[in-house]
Amino acid sequence: MQIELHNVHKTYEGAQPLHVLKGIDLSIEKGEFVSIMGASGSGKSTLLNILGILDSYDEGEYIIDGRLIKGLSERQAAGYRNRTIGFIFQSFNLISFKTAVENVELPLFYQGVNRRRRHELAMEYLDRLGLKDWAGHYPNEMSGGQKQRVAIARALITHPQIILADEPTGALDSKTSVEVMELLGQLNREEGVTIIVVTHESGVANCTNRIIHIKDGIIGEIEENREHKASAFGTTTVMK
Amino acid sequence: MRLDTDTFREIADSLVRNKRRSLLTGFGVFWGLFMLLFLIGGGAGLKEMLSKNFAGFANNTVILISSNTSKPYKGLQEGRYWNFEYKDVERLRQMVPELDVVAPMISAWSGNVAYGSHSSSASVKGITADYDKVETSQIKYGRFINEMDVEQERKVCVIGKDIYNELFPDGGDPCGNYVEVGGIHLRVIGVDFSSGNMSINGRASRTVTMPITVAAKIYHRGNTVDIICITGKSGVKMTSLESRLRSVMGRQHSFDPTDEQAMVILNTQQIFSIVDNLFRGLNFLVWLVGLGTLLAGAIGVSNIMMVTVKERTVEIGIRRAIGALPSEILSQILMESVSLTLLAGSFGIVFSVLMLSGLEAITKHEAVFQIGFGTAIVAALLLAFLGALAGLAPALRAMNIKPVEAMHDE
Ligand SMILES: Nc1ncnc2c1ncn2[C@@H]1O[C@H](COP(=O)(O)OP(=O)(O)OP(=O)(O)O)[C@@H](O)[C@H]1O
Ligand SMILES: [Mg+2]
Repeated sequence: MQIELHNVHKTYEGAQPLHVLKGIDLSIEKGEFVSIMGASGSGKSTLLNILGILDSYDEGEYIIDGRLIKGLSERQAAGYRNRTIGFIFQSFNLISFKTAVENVELPLFYQGVNRRRRHELAMEYLDRLGLKDWAGHYPNEMSGGQKQRVAIARALITHPQIILADEPTGALDSKTSVEVMELLGQLNREEGVTIIVVTHESGVANCTNRIIHIKDGIIGEIEENREHKASAFGTTTVMK
Repeated sequence: MRLDTDTFREIADSLVRNKRRSLLTGFGVFWGLFMLLFLIGGGAGLKEMLSKNFAGFANNTVILISSNTSKPYKGLQEGRYWNFEYKDVERLRQMVPELDVVAPMISAWSGNVAYGSHSSSASVKGITADYDKVETSQIKYGRFINEMDVEQERKVCVIGKDIYNELFPDGGDPCGNYVEVGGIHLRVIGVDFSSGNMSINGRASRTVTMPITVAAKIYHRGNTVDIICITGKSGVKMTSLESRLRSVMGRQHSFDPTDEQAMVILNTQQIFSIVDNLFRGLNFLVWLVGLGTLLAGAIGVSNIMMVTVKERTVEIGIRRAIGALPSEILSQILMESVSLTLLAGSFGIVFSVLMLSGLEAITKHEAVFQIGFGTAIVAALLLAFLGALAGLAPALRAMNIKPVEAMHDE
C-alpha cells in the first residue's frame, strides 16, 4: 500500500500548545522497509500514531492508496486499524490477564471470527514465531523478546498491508533486537508487507532499506540503505 | 452489540481473571441484596409468629374485666372493687341485643395438675360451652365442654397440649383418665392443641378448662365471675357498644358509667389493628433500609468500575488500537457491570435463602420466613437494571478512551 503525507501538521493542545509536526512531506511505496530516525522528542511517535490512525492530525493530507484519511467515522477508522494496519509497540502492550494465544486472537475477535478458527490461526502464527510452547503463558511469564514476538504475531494475524513499529527493540537486548529486526525483514521480503520502524538506534535503522531522518518536526535527510552499510558500527550487530 | 457466547466468554474472562477487582466490586451488591431479602423474609416471619399469638380468636371479641372504681358514685367511695356475677350474663344478653356470645369465665392463676406420678403446672379456666366461640379450640382427642357439663356440674376438663405432653408422655388418647386439680379429680374429656398465646389467662397449651360451675365450687367463688367475654353479631362495631356496656354494668354494680377505669374493656380488634400498623411501619422500614443498602451497593459498583476503567485505560486503548469500536467497548463495560451485579446478587439471594431457612429451623418452623420465588425474580430484575445503571457512567468514560492511550504504558 502506498502511503503519502503532504504538509502534515500536529499540535498538542494544552496549557502550552506544542507544535510537534511542522509540515511533514513523505512518500512510502508499497512493500518498502523503512525506518524513521530522530532525536528524542522530535515527533517520531507522533508521526507513527498518525500513520496508524491512532491519532488525528490538524492540517495537511494523509493518503493511503489514494484514499484521504481524514474525518473518518469510528467504524472506518476501526476497520483500518483492524485490517489494514498492524501496530507493534515499544512496551509490547499485551493485555496482562490474557495468555499469549488469547492476545494474538484479539484482533480476530473484533472481526467476529469464531473462537475455534481464531484459536487455530493464533496458534499457527505463534508457531511461525517459535512460540507454540508459550501459547498458554501470561505476558508476565515471558521474556521481553518473547513478548515482542507475541505482539508481532498479534499484528500479523489480520494480514495487514502495513506494519508500524514504534521502537520495537527499545526494551530488548541486542541479540533479541537482531532477531526481531530479521523477522521484520523476512516478513517484508517474503510477504511484501510495508514496514515502517521508528527507532533512535542506528543499528536498527541499518536493517531497513531506507532511513528517514526527522528533526524538529520536519523530514530531514533520507538515506537509501539497500546495502545495509549505514551503520558506523558494522553490519552484523545492532549497536545498543 | 453482539450477544454471542464469544462475547460472554470475553466478559467472563475479564471478570474471573481479575478476581480481587470483581470481588471488591460485587460485594456491595451481594450485601445489599442479602440485607433486603433477609429483612423482608425476617419481617414476614416475625409478623406471622406474632399473628399466631392471636390464632383462634374471634376478632370482634371484647373482654370485660372488673376493676377498682376511680370516681365516687351515689355516696360510694372511689377505689371500691366490684365483681361481675353470673346473672350479668343474662342481663347483658337482654339489654344489649347486638351481642352474639356472652361467655363468663372464672380464672384461677396457676395451680398444679397431676396424673399418677406426673404433674404439670397449669392455669385454670372455668367456662361455659359458649366460650368455644370466643377462642376456638383445636380438639385433638375427645370433645370440648358442652352445656350439659355446665348445667350438671360434671367434674370434667379439657387439657392443653403442653399439659397433655407432660402428664401423658406416652401419648395416646387420655380421655377417661382422671387428673387432680386443686384437690378434686376431674375426668379428662378432651385435649386442646390450639397454640394461641393471647388466650385470656395464660396460654391455651398450659390451661385446664372446666365447666364454670365446677370452677366456682373448687375455688369458692359463689356467684361471682372474673371476666365476661362478648362478641358482637356480624356487622356490629364493638367500639360503638362500649358506653352502653358501661351504663348497663354501672347501674347494676353501682359505678359511674363515665368511669372508664371501673370496667376495663379490651377490644381485640383494636389490638389487632395496632399490631397491623406496627408491621406496616416495620415493612416500610425494611424496604427503606434494604433498598438503601442495595442502592449504596450499586453506587459502590459504579465507583469501583469508574476506578477500574481508569486503571484499564491502556487495555482499552490496546483494544481500540487493534480495531474495537467505541460501541463494543461500551457494551463490554456495561455487560461486565450487569454480569457482576447479577452474579453477586445471585449469591446474595442464595445466602439470604440459606440464612432464612436457618432462621426457620431456629424458630422450630413456627412461621414461614422464606422469601417467595416471585420476590427473588423481582430482585433479580431489579439487579439487572441497577447493574446497567451502575455501569453506564464508567462505560461512557471507557468509550471515550482514545486508541493513542494504548501508548501511555510506561
Ligand atoms: N499527548 C501529548 N500531549 C502533549 N504533548 C505530547 C503528547 N505526546 C507527545 N507530546 C510531546 O510531543 C513531542 C514529541 O513527542 P513524540 O512522542 O512524538 O517524540 P519521539 O520522537 O517519539 O520521542 P522519543 O524518542 O523519546 O520516543 C514531545 O515533546 C512530547 O513531549
Ligand atoms: Mg517515541
